[in-house]
Amino acid sequence: MKQPVESRQLILDRIHAATPAAAGDASQLADAYAALPRTYIRRSSLSTSARIKLMIHRLREYDAEVVESTPADLPAAITAQLAASGRHLFVAPPGTPNKWMVTSARKITGLKWTIDHGLPIGEIEKAEGVVTAATCGIADSGTIVLHHSATEGRRVLTLLPDYYLCILRASQIVETLPEYFSRCQQPPALATYISGPSATADIEMTRIKGVHGPRILVVIVVRDDK
Amino acid sequence: MSHATPGRVSLDPRFAPPFPEAALIMLRNPQLRKNVGHAIDVIQAKRGKLVVEKTDWQELRSAASAIRFHVLDNLGAYLEQFEARCTAAGGHVHWAADAAQARQIILDLLRQENATEVIKIKTMTSAEIQLNPFLQASGVNVYETDLAEIILQLGDEDPSHIVVPALHINRSQVREIFARTMGLNNLSDDPKELTNAARTYLRQKFLTVPTAISGANFLVAETGTVAVVESEGNGRMCLTLPQTMISLVGIEKVLPRFQDLEVMLQLLARSATGERMNPYTSLWTGVTPGDGPQKFHVVLLDNGRSSILAKEKERQTLKCIRCAACMNACPVYRQTGGHAYGSVYPGPIGAILTPQLMQMKYAQTLPFASSLCGACYEVCPVKINIPEVLLELRSQVVNQERKQAGRVFDLMYLGLRIANLIFATAWGFHAAQRMGRIGLRFFTRKDGWIHSLPSLGAKWTQTRDLRGLPQQTFHQWWATRAKEGK
Repeated sequence: MKQPVESRQLILDRIHAATPAAAGDASQLADAYAALPRTYIRRSSLSTSARIKLMIHRLREYDAEVVESTPADLPAAITAQLAASGRHLFVAPPGTPNKWMVTSARKITGLKWTIDHGLPIGEIEKAEGVVTAATCGIADSGTIVLHHSATEGRRVLTLLPDYYLCILRASQIVETLPEYFSRCQQPPALATYISGPSATADIEMTRIKGVHGPRILVVIVVRDDK
Repeated sequence: MSHATPGRVSLDPRFAPPFPEAALIMLRNPQLRKNVGHAIDVIQAKRGKLVVEKTDWQELRSAASAIRFHVLDNLGAYLEQFEARCTAAGGHVHWAADAAQARQIILDLLRQENATEVIKIKTMTSAEIQLNPFLQASGVNVYETDLAEIILQLGDEDPSHIVVPALHINRSQVREIFARTMGLNNLSDDPKELTNAARTYLRQKFLTVPTAISGANFLVAETGTVAVVESEGNGRMCLTLPQTMISLVGIEKVLPRFQDLEVMLQLLARSATGERMNPYTSLWTGVTPGDGPQKFHVVLLDNGRSSILAKEKERQTLKCIRCAACMNACPVYRQTGGHAYGSVYPGPIGAILTPQLMQMKYAQTLPFASSLCGACYEVCPVKINIPEVLLELRSQVVNQERKQAGRVFDLMYLGLRIANLIFATAWGFHAAQRMGRIGLRFFTRKDGWIHSLPSLGAKWTQTRDLRGLPQQTFHQWWATRAKEGK
C-alpha cells in the first residue's frame, strides 16, 4: 500500500500529464477564469414590493407561515407567533436583541427563553422552538440564508427544535441567487441555505414535510423598506 | 461481492452480467417497472415546469459547462488551492489514488477516533468504492441517515438511481422493510408514518454517534469550502452534531470560486428533483470553533478519474454534477430501472462513466445501452454530450473486440467485413439490393413487414419487426422518371 504522501504526488502527476492546456501561472489562470461566459441573469427585474411579495409567495408555497410586521411592531409580532405556536421553551442565539424576548416573556405565561452560550446539545434538543435573524432572503427560490453570525446562531440551533421562527428584514431580500452572491464580498466560513421546511420525497415521490429539521417554519418579514 | 438473491444483479461492474442479460431480468419484473415509471413521471413533470419558467436556463447551462471545462483544464492548480485553503482553515486533506486506498484512509481515521459506529450522509462516491461492506467487515457499524438509504440498508437492497436511490421500492415494500427491521408491526404504508418511523429510529443515532462520513456536491478552491446539498436535514445533523467528519470527494468536484455556486445551485435542484432550491444547502470551511465537528478530513478520490481526464472526447464525463436528469429523461432507463446497469451509476451518465472508471476492462456493454436519442444531452445542466461519448466508447469496445483472435471468424464481424466490401461500390450495392429483395420476399408477410427471420437475423426480429424491402428502389424510380421525361 502506497503512503498517502506518495498518492498525492501520483495523482497530481497524472492530472498534470492529462492537462497540457493548463494555465501556466496564477495570473494566466485568473485571466482564463475571467473570460468564462456569464450571460445569465444576475440582477433584479422586480420592484421592491413585487420582490417582497414574491419571497412571501415562495415561502408559502413551501408551507411556511409568513406574516409581515414593521420594525416597531416586531416584538408584538414575535409574541403573537410564539403564543399561537402553543410552545413555551425557546432558545435563541447570543446576539438576539433583548426587545425580541422581553415582550413575549412578559405576556405569555410559562414562556422561557434560553440563550445559547454554548448550551449542551441535550438542552437544545429539549427546546420546543428557536428564534433567529437571517443574513439574506432570495425571492426567486424562497430561500433563507444563514451565515451563522451572533444573531443567527450556530448551525445546530436552527436544526434540532421542531419549530423555527425566522426574522427576515425586507431590506435583506434580493430577487436572484447571483445578487446574494454579489453581496458576499467576504465569503462566509459557514452558511446554510434553507428553502422551506425539511422534506423528503423518497417514498413514491410523495412530499413529506419534516424529516429531521424543524417541521414548522414561520417567517416574520419586517418591512424596513417603507 | 456476489448476491445470492434470485433476480438480483451485482452493482460491482466486475461481476455484473452484460447489460442485455441484466435488462431482461428487470423487464420481467412488472412491479419494479411500475415503481420506476411512476417516480420518473413525477420528477419529469416537476422539472419541466421549473425549467420553462427559468428564462436564462440555456445561459446558465453554458456558464456551467464553461466553468466545469475550465476546472478540468486546470484541475491540478484548483485542487492544490483547495487543499491549501482547507488546511489553513483547520481541515486535513488526504489523497486516495484508488478505491482500496480511500477505504483504508477512512478506516485508519476511524480507528484513530476509536470509532465503532459511524453515521453517513448519502454519498454515491462511497457506494462506488464499496465503503459500507468494508467498514462493516472491519468492525465499524455504519448507519445510513438519508431516508432512501435507510430503506436500502435495512431492506438489504441496492441503489437504482443516484438522487432517489430507492425509487424502485414502493410504499408497501417500505412498510414491510421497516416493520420487519424496526419491529413496528402496526406500521401503516402511509409515507408520513413511514417517514416518522425513520425520524425516530435515527434521532438517537444523531445525538450519540460521534463520527460521520459524507460526500460533497462541490468543493470551492478559492475558500476551501465544502458544499452538501440535501432535503431532509439528515445532512445538517451529520454536519453539526458529531465531533469528527470525514468527507469523501471525487477530484473532479472542485469549483474555482465561491461565486460559481450561483450557477451550479440554480441548475442542480431544478435538474435533480424539480425544485427551485433543495430544502437545505450546507457550506463549511475547515473547522469553526464552537460550531460543528472539530476534526474535519477530506479524502480526495481519483479511482480512474485522472485517466478519463487525459482523453479529449471523454473528458466531458467529469463535468457531471450528479443531478440524474439524464436517467430521468432516458427511455432505456425508464424501462429497465437502474440495477440493469450493474453499477452504482446507472442511466446514460453511468453508461459512459462506469466503463471508463473501470479502465474499459469491464462494463463494455453499457455504451450500447442507449438508443442515442440525445434526450440526456438535452437535459444535462452542464451540457455533457453523452451520445458523443457513447459513440466514442462503442468504437473503443469494437476495436478491443476486433483485436481478439477468436473474432476473426465471428459471424457478426465477418458479416460486417463483407458488407464493407459490398457497400464500397455502386454495382455491389445494387446487386445486394436485388438479391435482398429476392431473398427476403420469402419472409415478408402480406402487410409488408418481416416478423421473424432465421438464425442471425432472429437477433433483430425477436424484439422488433423489420419493414420488407420495397419492390422499387429510389434509384430505379428516379431512372424511370427521367426516361418518361417528367
